[in-house]
Amino acid sequence: MIAAPGLDPPMELRARLADLYCAYSDVLDEGELERWPDFFTADCLYKVMPRENFEQDLPIALIYCESRNMLADRVVALRETALFVPRTVRHLTGNIRLRAVEPEGLRLTANFALFQTMTDQPSEVFLCGRYHDRVVDDGGRLRFAERICVYDSTIVPISLVYPV
Amino acid sequence: MPSADRTIVYPLETGAENFAGRRWPDAGTPRIPNWVYTDPEIFAREQERIFTGPGWLYVCLEAEIANPGDFKRSRLGTREVVAVRDPSGKVNVLLNRCAHRSAQFCSATRGTAKEFVCPYHQWTYDLGGKLLGVPFRRGYRGQGGMPADFRPKEHGLQRLSVTRRHGVVFASFSEETEPLEQYLGERMLGYFDRVFDGRELVVLGHLRQRIPSNWKLMFENIKDPYHASLLHVFLVTFGLFRLDQKSAIEMDTTGRHAVLVSRRGEQQENDATRQMRAFKADFALRDPRLLEPVREFPGDATVVMQTLWPNMIVQQQSNTLATRQILPIDPGNFDLAWTFFGYADDTPEMRQRRLRQANLMGPAGLVSLDDSEAMLLSQAGIDGNEAAECIAEMGGRAIRDEPHMVTETAIRGFYQHYRRVMGL
Repeated sequence: MIAAPGLDPPMELRARLADLYCAYSDVLDEGELERWPDFFTADCLYKVMPRENFEQDLPIALIYCESRNMLADRVVALRETALFVPRTVRHLTGNIRLRAVEPEGLRLTANFALFQTMTDQPSEVFLCGRYHDRVVDDGGRLRFAERICVYDSTIVPISLVYPV
Repeated sequence: MPSADRTIVYPLETGAENFAGRRWPDAGTPRIPNWVYTDPEIFAREQERIFTGPGWLYVCLEAEIANPGDFKRSRLGTREVVAVRDPSGKVNVLLNRCAHRSAQFCSATRGTAKEFVCPYHQWTYDLGGKLLGVPFRRGYRGQGGMPADFRPKEHGLQRLSVTRRHGVVFASFSEETEPLEQYLGERMLGYFDRVFDGRELVVLGHLRQRIPSNWKLMFENIKDPYHASLLHVFLVTFGLFRLDQKSAIEMDTTGRHAVLVSRRGEQQENDATRQMRAFKADFALRDPRLLEPVREFPGDATVVMQTLWPNMIVQQQSNTLATRQILPIDPGNFDLAWTFFGYADDTPEMRQRRLRQANLMGPAGLVSLDDSEAMLLSQAGIDGNEAAECIAEMGGRAIRDEPHMVTETAIRGFYQHYRRVMGL
């Protein structure tokens, strides 16, 4: 983890942030979708959007959730209602950078790469991009109050099933 | 009301049935031969006859190129174009190919330009495609240069025919395309104007996906209300689209355009939902804000999905509005480009509602996700089984408007027109 000039986060906070980022990817890679909403605050904002929209301030997102309950609804919808071909997704998160410490929380960015493996197909890079995060201490646990996942490509291969 | 006298029948051309060694099944349009989804020669003829021949192809919304100089790169069939607003406010659609060495002169997805300069040899064009400058045209110190009889005005960019209606831009490679109003026909125009009612549009964003299937499967999907009640458990569960609801499928007089209309129902069990294996009576949203549609259009329809030949889908599902542009790549792949929009006079609440309901649509849509995956499965089953046929006989074999959803009539209508254009 790196920090912007002038910020010198204590080792303990660095370790807690590293744990948060690793645990988040791990839960998704293990397919434990039901545990995913718990990484967010109750009134969180979670979006997945192409850089094209992000840079032009266009609000449409692939996934647009305004609360932890909306995240939970998406998990139930995926589990109970969606049709999709089986696939394995693996997250690599790196270059976690603390950019600012604000009263509303810690502003961080991190790079992500998602690899996808479809049945009978070689693994491929599915999406790569950057998380734009606001992390808060929520009753003693670090949680995402905001996580905007901005992917670099304009095109999504087939469909995005699992959260980024 | 639909009736027998609206049945679409027109004679197919004869003598063309052996194109590329292919012959349409004797059963006619209720059977679709798998080779229409795989054969490169068929794909090449589609590009020539459907995407380059007479017909209006959807390019973009005017709101995407609102100011003079604004441009957007796009693709019509397999050919790249640039839509640009010139200083007079007119919209031009130019082939993205330099007249000199065929290089694509525009690489930006969108932007603002005073002129277009091909990066390769810096041939320069105005926003109408007129060739303004050729570096070293007269040579250097008496050497080289273009021949004296080279006429720049004969070497502009290829310019397409353009028509606009209520903020939507269409283009055609042909100069013989009928006026848009006639091309759509009175009834389809009525549905088009329902969403594009002349109010100023606001673009909310773009989403794109690449689907490993033939482009026609996308059209078939939106012309097929039969699947919606079975595949889309989310829609069914929340009563957003179900075959027990009042609904209709209507076409223009050729069968090439269609519209699928439905009215929202309740989340309750009845005879129909019991046949829908996946109906979830007990699935309640923890955050119901995702689905709080409000009526905003005249009439009682809450879903109107319009398919306009050959590359446009107009989507109105509750309060989520989008155009979907179909961009074929090759027989087995196409891109789908979604442009979500609202109106300049939307309240902040309505704007927010549109963003929330967009969760149902796009490449991660709780509903449309099912479709992209189903198309993948269709193409996977078609590949290698070229001699087989698909059945499109739900609701009978006729091609006519129907006041219900248990039908594939609009797929038959589509292929009736397709066969005529393709000479198959």
